Amino acid sequence: MRTTVASRSSSSAFMRFCRDYGWAYLFILAPVLLFLVFTLYPVISALIMSFQHYNPMNTTWIGLNNYKTLFQDDVFWKSMRNTVIFTIGTVPVNIVITFVLSYFIFQMKNSWQTLFKATLYLPTVASGVTLSIVWIAIYDPTSTGLINRFLGLFGIDPVIWLGQSSTALFSLMLMNWLGSHGAGIILYLAAMGGIPKSLYEAADIDHASGWTKFARITWPLLKPTTLYLLVTGVITSFQVFISVYLMTHGGPNFATTTIAYLIYDTAFKFYDFGLASAQSFVLAIMIIIVSVIQFKFLSSDVEY
Amino acid sequence: MHSKSKIIMVTVASVILGLWAIVTIIPLYWMIIGSVQDTTLSATYKPQMIPSIWSVAPFERFFSKTSAWRWLFNSVFISAVLTATNVFFGSLAGYAFAKLKFPGSKTVFWVLLSTMMIPAQVTLIPLYVLIINVFNLGDTYTAIILPGAVSVGNIFLMKQYMSSLPTSLIHAARIDACSEFGIFWKVILPLAKPGLAVLAIFTFVTSWNDFFWPFLITSSDEMRTIQVGLASFVFAESTDYGAIMAGATVGALPMMILFFSLQRYFLQGITIGAVKG
Amino acid sequence: MARVEFRNVRKEFHDQQKGTFTAVEGSDFVINDKEFVVFVGPSGCGKTTSLRMIAGLEHQSSGDIIIGDRVVNNLHPKDRDIAMVFQDYALYPHMTIRENLSFGLRNLKKPKAYIEQKVQEAASILDLESMLERKPRELSGGQRQRVAVGRAIVRDPQVFLFDEPLSNLDAKLRIQMRVELAELHKRLGATIVYVTHDQVEAMTLGERIVVMNKGAIQQIASPTELYAKPRNMFVAGFIGSPAMNFMDAELDGNRVLVNGTVLELPESMLSSSLADYDKKKVILGIRPEDIYGEDFVQNVKVEGKMTTSVQVVEHLGSENLVYFQVGERSVTAKVHPETKAYVGLEKTFILDLGKVHFFDPETEMRISD
Repeated sequence: MRTTVASRSSSSAFMRFCRDYGWAYLFILAPVLLFLVFTLYPVISALIMSFQHYNPMNTTWIGLNNYKTLFQDDVFWKSMRNTVIFTIGTVPVNIVITFVLSYFIFQMKNSWQTLFKATLYLPTVASGVTLSIVWIAIYDPTSTGLINRFLGLFGIDPVIWLGQSSTALFSLMLMNWLGSHGAGIILYLAAMGGIPKSLYEAADIDHASGWTKFARITWPLLKPTTLYLLVTGVITSFQVFISVYLMTHGGPNFATTTIAYLIYDTAFKFYDFGLASAQSFVLAIMIIIVSVIQFKFLSSDVEY
Repeated sequence: MHSKSKIIMVTVASVILGLWAIVTIIPLYWMIIGSVQDTTLSATYKPQMIPSIWSVAPFERFFSKTSAWRWLFNSVFISAVLTATNVFFGSLAGYAFAKLKFPGSKTVFWVLLSTMMIPAQVTLIPLYVLIINVFNLGDTYTAIILPGAVSVGNIFLMKQYMSSLPTSLIHAARIDACSEFGIFWKVILPLAKPGLAVLAIFTFVTSWNDFFWPFLITSSDEMRTIQVGLASFVFAESTDYGAIMAGATVGALPMMILFFSLQRYFLQGITIGAVKG
Repeated sequence: MARVEFRNVRKEFHDQQKGTFTAVEGSDFVINDKEFVVFVGPSGCGKTTSLRMIAGLEHQSSGDIIIGDRVVNNLHPKDRDIAMVFQDYALYPHMTIRENLSFGLRNLKKPKAYIEQKVQEAASILDLESMLERKPRELSGGQRQRVAVGRAIVRDPQVFLFDEPLSNLDAKLRIQMRVELAELHKRLGATIVYVTHDQVEAMTLGERIVVMNKGAIQQIASPTELYAKPRNMFVAGFIGSPAMNFMDAELDGNRVLVNGTVLELPESMLSSSLADYDKKKVILGIRPEDIYGEDFVQNVKVEGKMTTSVQVVEHLGSENLVYFQVGERSVTAKVHPETKAYVGLEKTFILDLGKVHFFDPETEMRISD
């Protein structure tokens, strides 16, 4: 049998590897390089920094001192407390609001659904800076402020919303309640639309009450969406920064200092990069714990 | 009986929804309406829900007191570049991870994905040191753009999206003598247009609204984005209410217009890659 | 010169979770020039993997693949001089039919006039001239199918590869396309490798058929031979519908004992290899169409009688399927519709003993005759 051996001799295993997979590696090259330089290196560098007293001229290794300082620092604990209060005070409340709104919208006709979806989504496209500026005006402590003006109608004296420790954190939470439902509503509506009608019809045949249908069909089938919103909500609110920075500067008296704000303050006001890195790792660990819990509960429901 | 309770339910729902929608919209309304009333004209004039005197003076003052046109240009330029790089590299890598077989593909993907858990605060400081001290790129477009040129989240979204495209088309194109990049460019990209549109829109809005990184890395007035400029303006000019509201409006209105003109993409796109059923 | 040859080709897939999976093992065959060869087998048998290895879409783990007179192991699909028609047609949805047909030639940088001529030729062969400017979604399933074939034709390949091309069509259209494909083969005079899971398609189209199961080739033969002399129980059961019946039996000289019934084999069935199984257990195979009701026997030279009770009767109009039990195995008879049969009837069936098959119960291989 006369057969010409095409290109066998010229192609070494390496050449063949390049031919088969070279393109794929080229396609992921840019993101991988950026990842190495702008994510992996910084993470390692931050870890090392957290064990150092960082100074561009003279950096010294101080072991666990940053972490010791951290855990003895009242402001750190206060920021932890604020972050947790903010998270507990916003995420579950927002999920309930989002769910109720979605449930109501779902009963509407299609054109109304679109109107409400669009309206409720609108604040989501406004930037954090814009919203913070507007809310500073709304919370204006004089009688010019929208809320104080509204309360004035009932004869209530102006409140210094952002300027006193007792109301500052609450004010940030209130702002959060009124405007971050857009994405959640759309996810819930998509999930509600995905529940087969036949389930409700079967329940009707079994004479199930409205409540039973809700508790046995709607809620369980929306659980993946709820969990997803819960986890992404927690992670986001752990990192709340812009409104704190622009509206209260973490004050008064650290009443609104969140961890993310504290890290910024430590790093770029006091230029203590080592301590700030240690603080950021505490935040990272909190977020990783939440993410792992997410993965455990959601892995069967969320497609990766 | 049954339908009567249904009607009551729908009515109650409509009322609550309507009220909530109004409450949601009020801050934005208050912003826009505040920007067309000139409170500096008289010491006693307070901004009204329905203004008695309309004025464009706040906008004129905002633009004359600041480099807002330059900031807007910066925001448009940076958002456009970030959108282009994220769409191109994100879809290219997403396609590779979804459809091409190569050793290590799963491992690399999982390493990338797992770093999404690490909050930005961790990488921030070394990134700052790297850009300012090592690369000497402080206060440049490159510094603002480069770290966000391809986000892992976008690669993930594109991988999800590309997985749903038929593999046989790739095989057909390979037999049709198409190069590997040609397959991506001539076959995959045209097919993935709806997904790319969603990715582009969300990247543009996110980049436009981004505050922290451009704020940290810029020092001169003319390198600021509109969001950073706006924040600096508010700190400097805390008394000119009208101009501040005008500034806020300038920062938000382009995205609101974008939202209304591309509503469909916004409202459908959010569900890509989030949760099954 | 467009033969296709596999020399000891093996394909393994590696998966981190599932480990190594052998899709094709030690595959050896030659497909001759201008031959229409069909690969058939159940899903996961390795037939599609074999086709993709010819195309170059998968690379074999070991062994050589030869197309024409070239070893193509390391060649890119575009350099193998093949064209392929996919199960889901794989038409580019964003291109017109004309662009779909010409995409490959454009990529190969052929002259414009040449491309135009090829597209026209293919369009006229397949009756697609009026829809060249349309997009695939505006076409019916049958038309899309023809475009997919057209895309292969314009390439003038040495070998056409078809991957279950008719499985997405409805039954009527499938039969029509089957006829068209057979005509096309005559007209083009090209080598065709065709993969299907449908044994009727295989039998009607293939000049030779390669039956595969679990990655291994079971038999390569013409449709007639495959039907008459299946090499093993898998092929025997896979080819023919309803499937061949198997009964546990024991040989004793020229007699076979099946579940207490004694059948006397005709002289023609006795061979030396069968003699080796004297006094031993064998599997007796008989096709449903070779079993008759006692009241309606046609052209049977040597009759074997078996009396049992009818369990199920299916009326198909042109024939009836009668099910009964022999030992632990269910047996089907395809009988004339006028054959008397109802559930519970004690009935004597006639087995055409000239057409029985014997298999080794251990190896499941045919005991040759």
